[in-house]
Amino acid sequence: MGRFGKIIFWIITLSVLFIIVAPLAWIYLTAFKSPNDIFTTDVKKLVFFKFTSENFQRLFREFPFWPNFVNTIIISTTSTLVVLAISALAAYSFARWNTGRGHLLFTTISTRMFPGVVAAIPFFVLYRNLGLLDTRFGLTLLHIYFNTSFATFLLYGFFKEIPEELEQAAMIDGYSRVDIFRKIVMPLVRPGLAVTAVFCLVWSWNEFLFSFLFTRVAARPVTVLISSFWGSIEVQYGPMAAGAAIAILPTLVIAWFMQRYIIRGLTFGAVKG
Amino acid sequence: MREEITYGTVAGYGLTRKSTIWETLTSERYFKWTLLIPLIILLGIFMVYPLLYCAYYSFHQWGMRGDALYVGAQNYRQLLNDKAFLESLYQTFKVLIICIVCELLIGLGLALLWSREFRGENVVRGLALLPLLVAPLILSLLWNFMFEYDFGAVNIVLQSLGLNKIYWWSPERALYSICFITIWQWFPFATFVLVAGLRSLPKDVFEAARVDGASPWYTFRRLTLPMLSPLIMIVVVLRTMWLIRLFDPLYGTTRGGVQTELLDWMVYRTAFIYFDIGYGSTMAIFSLVLTMAICAIMFRILMKALGGTK
Repeated sequence: MGRFGKIIFWIITLSVLFIIVAPLAWIYLTAFKSPNDIFTTDVKKLVFFKFTSENFQRLFREFPFWPNFVNTIIISTTSTLVVLAISALAAYSFARWNTGRGHLLFTTISTRMFPGVVAAIPFFVLYRNLGLLDTRFGLTLLHIYFNTSFATFLLYGFFKEIPEELEQAAMIDGYSRVDIFRKIVMPLVRPGLAVTAVFCLVWSWNEFLFSFLFTRVAARPVTVLISSFWGSIEVQYGPMAAGAAIAILPTLVIAWFMQRYIIRGLTFGAVKG
Repeated sequence: MREEITYGTVAGYGLTRKSTIWETLTSERYFKWTLLIPLIILLGIFMVYPLLYCAYYSFHQWGMRGDALYVGAQNYRQLLNDKAFLESLYQTFKVLIICIVCELLIGLGLALLWSREFRGENVVRGLALLPLLVAPLILSLLWNFMFEYDFGAVNIVLQSLGLNKIYWWSPERALYSICFITIWQWFPFATFVLVAGLRSLPKDVFEAARVDGASPWYTFRRLTLPMLSPLIMIVVVLRTMWLIRLFDPLYGTTRGGVQTELLDWMVYRTAFIYFDIGYGSTMAIFSLVLTMAICAIMFRILMKALGGTK
């Protein structure tokens, strides 16, 4: 690549990065603006304005931001732990014995393609009868359901990488199947478990459809709170940006540190980016 | 003393009995199924139950109160003549095709640009992948604000450049604006899948093509593209899976208004706003069968594509 080529390369690269990063930065800029600066039409004020923490103060004072944030944390961590337990067992079975000859694995993965609304209708009625609407327990169950298939498929790839010879050697040494799984396979698949856990956390953190349909006040996660700022009588851009700024921060940090694994995770382990 | 011994024996007996069940469960023959028990229970509850439920109510008329009225196949007949439903189906496919084609084209272009290792690569990749893990709902709210007519950032910038402001949420444009938001979030995905693909291509073949004097375009068309096709398929399949159920970006922007009603939104509106569980179930079943059919085909292709990369 000549000098000219290099310049062109960086012009394109930087403009692409600008298109990607500018809208995200916009959330953080808006979060620190006063209402007057938010509703301005002056192009300079888009970037140069007086910093204020007014939006954050309003968000914490007038809206149940922290309780909802805690809901999100509780729901995403509990569901992730359960999902890992269920899918690690299943993925090992699929990877080692090809249990169900692919049909069962396909059924599992197809729940990910299952339209959320199909599950939502019966469970809404069921939850209403059982009094599970607007409970963290109820929503956690639904998050477990929609993450398990993904986690199983992703872990399946990680388990596949463990050489079977290791297990055979352990069997000769008199290890039982359970011991092999606990003492040999699990430690080896730990990085895979970590990656899977992070993805489950993120999906659960971001999930909207079930959260929105199945919670009102008590169990409401933070995404639903933020969505409620738009569409009521007036649009609360300030608190919305402030809330979004906090809510997306963990996912941005994760995206930055997990960059080597994102493509692998998003392709269910098919592409090792 | 005597009592103690009896107690001990009973407890011991209990233990051995328990261990035989445990032994069966962990035996060479059944262990693989034992591992699947939790998953099968979960799938049983969360897949089979909703399926049977929706199938049952799709033949009934029910508004969440009172008794369900059996109406036979009337819901299905109504569905096939429902202009709004067919329209939403059409819109969904439109979004599917627009988004996948744009993401692949942008992704391919950038992948070719970034395929060779370069300095600052980690920073570029880190920044480019940022939107992928952010909640789609929040991003749609963000873009809704940026596309606002009077004080949205995009229009202000357009105006300062001497261009006309654009009404992004007009009935003609709203669907494309939603496509834009989705493409904006997801083109880095296609890009880096293809970057991974380009970097794993065998170098000697390209060397040979160069020595033989093949033009870059010929090399690209005859070598690069065919070798990338499994990865392109992966992108198409996975994006289809996600896009067919697009819901969040609608909630953050038009809420199904201005001719942007997609499949899942239609089901949501029928079941959760009109509380028409019967008809909603019918749509859900239809949408499910459609998704399953598409995905069954896609899964076959995906498995073949996976075989190609490993």
